[in-house]
Amino acid sequence: MATTNYRLIDVDALDPESAFPAELLTPPCDPIPTPQIQSLATHCRQLLQRGDQETALVTALENVPYGGDEQGKELHLGTVLEILSSIKAVEMSPLLGRLYASPSGTELLDVLTKYLYKGMARHNNSTSSSSTPGVSSHATGVSSVSGAREYGVAPGRGDGGGMSVLLSWHEKVVEIAGTGAIVRVMTDRRTV
Amino acid sequence: MSEVHLLFHQPIADHSFSADRSLLAVSRDTKVELYKRSGSGFTLQDELAGHDKTVTSVDIAPNTGKIVTCSQDRNALVWEPSPTGWKPTLVLLRINRAATHVRWSPDETKFAVGSGARVIAVCYFEGENDWWVSKHIKKPLRSTVFSLAWHPNSVLLAAGSADAHARVFSSFIKGVDQRPDPTVWGERIPFNTVCGEYINSSGGWVHSVAFSPSGNALAFAAHDSSVTVVYPSAPEQPPHAVLSVTTQMLPFVTLCWTREDQLVAAGHDCHPVVFQGSMEGWRLAYSVDDPRKSAGSGASQESSALNMFRQMDLKGKSSVDDTNLKTIHQNSITILRPYEGGPGNITKFSSSGVDGRIVVFPVKG
Repeated sequence: MATTNYRLIDVDALDPESAFPAELLTPPCDPIPTPQIQSLATHCRQLLQRGDQETALVTALENVPYGGDEQGKELHLGTVLEILSSIKAVEMSPLLGRLYASPSGTELLDVLTKYLYKGMARHNNSTSSSSTPGVSSHATGVSSVSGAREYGVAPGRGDGGGMSVLLSWHEKVVEIAGTGAIVRVMTDRRTV
Repeated sequence: MSEVHLLFHQPIADHSFSADRSLLAVSRDTKVELYKRSGSGFTLQDELAGHDKTVTSVDIAPNTGKIVTCSQDRNALVWEPSPTGWKPTLVLLRINRAATHVRWSPDETKFAVGSGARVIAVCYFEGENDWWVSKHIKKPLRSTVFSLAWHPNSVLLAAGSADAHARVFSSFIKGVDQRPDPTVWGERIPFNTVCGEYINSSGGWVHSVAFSPSGNALAFAAHDSSVTVVYPSAPEQPPHAVLSVTTQMLPFVTLCWTREDQLVAAGHDCHPVVFQGSMEGWRLAYSVDDPRKSAGSGASQESSALNMFRQMDLKGKSSVDDTNLKTIHQNSITILRPYEGGPGNITKFSSSGVDGRIVVFPVKG
């Protein structure tokens, strides 16, 4: 009895009333089957091949699989990153401007910011997924185990877009959508 | 023009003016300081020291002059003015976590205390035993209550909570309240009825809630930098409209209705922002104390040669002083309160911030 450190006991965990499922906090989202996400991916790839990057991006951002499972979400992430890396640097700002001006433009840019952060997190799974350029570009030998840093790697299936591509997108998006978009990525319970 | 008062260099969690605006109560760590207006400034008049931990909220009742304070020490105190100073009366809240927010009802017979115990304690005075007792609103709150707002009829209470919902409850207490007239929120509503429960699309913490001057609309500010306005139609029916405005700014933590079609919100961006709209739609109209208009608010913006050389001498650089924010408040704004104007048409509002300033802003339009 003398060895129990009462101050460190988590009373809330023992209180049956305080337990509630985390789903109560998340707004309801319909489940989306993975084949649907796959067909969306092929559709976007076709648009890309035709050179219509704007429509491909809009389609991918509008049909976000919030209700999908892990696999579906990874698949959609790959689609989005592929589209992003196929758009040239000079076209980024005008494209984002047009997106923002359209109705539900803020929602589209919020979703884009979520994918940018998710993409950065996968590249940097050893250090924290921060977006400041200064932090992520120095390999201070902290942990070289988990995967190579891929800067400017040529886009491939599911691995499109090196960190530099994502960072330049991030800069352009924040210029247009402001810090509100970043706050929404952190607050929104619907994760991509 | 805005009136700026730098009281001290500590955060102000909450502030409240008396009805004639001559008395200002400001929370300062574990004490509440009372300032009296003298000329164009405020001087310290009294100190209310009764809490053991940080005071989180203060409210002065406009008519009776009583002050209620609540703190992280799980207590609330009601202070009454007497010839020998302010006398505190303990309130039995029966909560086991910090109290976060307290507000008097419009008729001043009750006050509501939000807490981290996932409970709202509605307190009323019991004459027989000469103390304040509380009734708890528990269901369906799932997390800390950040903010409370009373409807003009003193029975309906809105609460914003960390479980991402803004809810409207009935706090009707038999013996203390008269049966209220039916409203769009409901009629014949016993204590703890949930008259409405709203969540916005992203599900972030709801920092602040407020009823419109008529009580027929509810606005809440959530952590996703948005302000949502709800227009209910009838009890048990879906609302007429739930309109969200997402902004490019940092989240808002406080809001205040100025007119039926206008409200002002402030938060981590350190300056208030005005929203306008109606049941058809709401939009961000303009910023009060806009940092982009560098009209030299507060910090000296002399670009004279003298100042430039002085900067070079002192700090070794010739650029303009960039250690101060361009807004009047140098840190987040914590609370907005109406200052001047009738209930349906506020012309000035006051703000307190984490930088220890109280500023009175004109609504300007």
